[in-house]
Amino acid sequence: MPMVDTLATSSSTRQKAIVEAQGISKQFGDLEVLTDIDFSLSPSEVVCVIGPSGSGKSTLLRCLAFLEPYDHGSVYIDSQLLGYEDSGGKRVRTSEKRVDEVRAPVGMVFQHFHLWPHRTALENVTEALRLVNGLSRREATAEGMAMLEQVGLADRAGHFPESLSGGQKQRVAIARALAMKPRVMFFDEPTSALDPELIGEVLDVMNKLAADGMTMVVVTHEMGFAAKVADRVIFMDQGRVVESGAPDTLFRQPKSERLQQFLNTWRERHID
Amino acid sequence: MFDIAILWEARELILQGLWNTVWICFLGCLLALSLGLLLAALRLANPQVFGYPVACYVELCRGIPLLILLFLLYYGGPSIGLTLSASVAGVVGIGLYGAGYFAEIYRGGFKSIPKGHVEAARMLGISPFHVLTRIQIPQMARLIVPPSTNQLIILVKESALISIISVNDLTKNATSIVNETFHVIEPYLAVALLYWLIIELIARGGYALEKRLANRQPRPIEPLGDTLHANG
Repeated sequence: MPMVDTLATSSSTRQKAIVEAQGISKQFGDLEVLTDIDFSLSPSEVVCVIGPSGSGKSTLLRCLAFLEPYDHGSVYIDSQLLGYEDSGGKRVRTSEKRVDEVRAPVGMVFQHFHLWPHRTALENVTEALRLVNGLSRREATAEGMAMLEQVGLADRAGHFPESLSGGQKQRVAIARALAMKPRVMFFDEPTSALDPELIGEVLDVMNKLAADGMTMVVVTHEMGFAAKVADRVIFMDQGRVVESGAPDTLFRQPKSERLQQFLNTWRERHID
Repeated sequence: MFDIAILWEARELILQGLWNTVWICFLGCLLALSLGLLLAALRLANPQVFGYPVACYVELCRGIPLLILLFLLYYGGPSIGLTLSASVAGVVGIGLYGAGYFAEIYRGGFKSIPKGHVEAARMLGISPFHVLTRIQIPQMARLIVPPSTNQLIILVKESALISIISVNDLTKNATSIVNETFHVIEPYLAVALLYWLIIELIARGGYALEKRLANRQPRPIEPLGDTLHANG
């Protein structure tokens, strides 16, 4: 597998990529939402993806997770091709089981939480522990409680999602993903559906995760979080990566006009 | 004058009618519920292959009156070698007719589960089979109870039509009593009350099930015993 490394800005001694995308593109009907994207993520790296609505940043994340099958290019997780395989010179979709195997190191958190409403907070966390990892009820409960503890919600374990606040739901969703011991976490606009006063508690959990060395890709509108926590920021527009680099450089000296515009608009809205 | 004695004298006919209405409706609804599930499953499993035939079936059920379906089964059946007793024709008619409606209720319930719930489960490595049995079906159950209850009630009321193909159900036996006694009000009011009772039972049952499935009060954390409670 060739190592294309167009976006990396970190030192050349960096470790092998956990997630790597080469030239991926994606179309919805006639609309090209991703065009020839290269992406690479090293262990313990935190990458924030920013950009206006419709820039393709969520689609990129979903393609990296194969929730949307990409049309062209390749996504590798731990050097294994995700979603496709070679069959007599032709590229064909792999089985769902194989997708699960390759994708196992990845945990994902969604904008709208997607907790299962018929399961308590604890059951949301333990479901996969029991079904996928085959833990006993007791083991899964102990593990699930530890995870809820980690996001500060052990006292809400027996509650159903409908009686939790948005911030609490998202923290349960994070605990649910962490329970499977992922080595990479994908966050798809994790705070965009939250009331402003609830964003902090979710960002705190994510800060802590990053500080503990979790490898993360975060699609976000939270520039403050990106500036503080990201090792690298990627700015996307119209399905392409326009600019990427360390947050300091990117936010202080944006090179492209598009990013300057984007940052100006953002500042105007957040000054008052 | 309202003459209650007429009803007492005709009690055997009324009870026979009640029994026939109850068992025919029960089996007919059971057939409708299960055939509807099969149809919905076929359509969802492979929309390319089964989508069109199932959609046609549903349109047919909705497009023709139950009475015509019963006539076709009972009077038309023998000409294609299908001879059914009136009661069996009643069960099959109600079953086939209701299945089309239930198929749509199930499909609607299934479709209304957010795609994200499935994606979240798949990202955790939960297999498509377990996604279906542990995430989708339990959620669907809650959504389909109210419309299913409604549909069952409609089927029981429409079952009065089987009297026209000579099944001795509540409606037919009430008419017999009317013809014998020339009293119209008492027998029909009595069977109306009995229909209402059956329907009230279904409605209560549906409501109880709905409440049970909707119970989302905080629960204690079971396997860890009393040390941890969820009411924090």
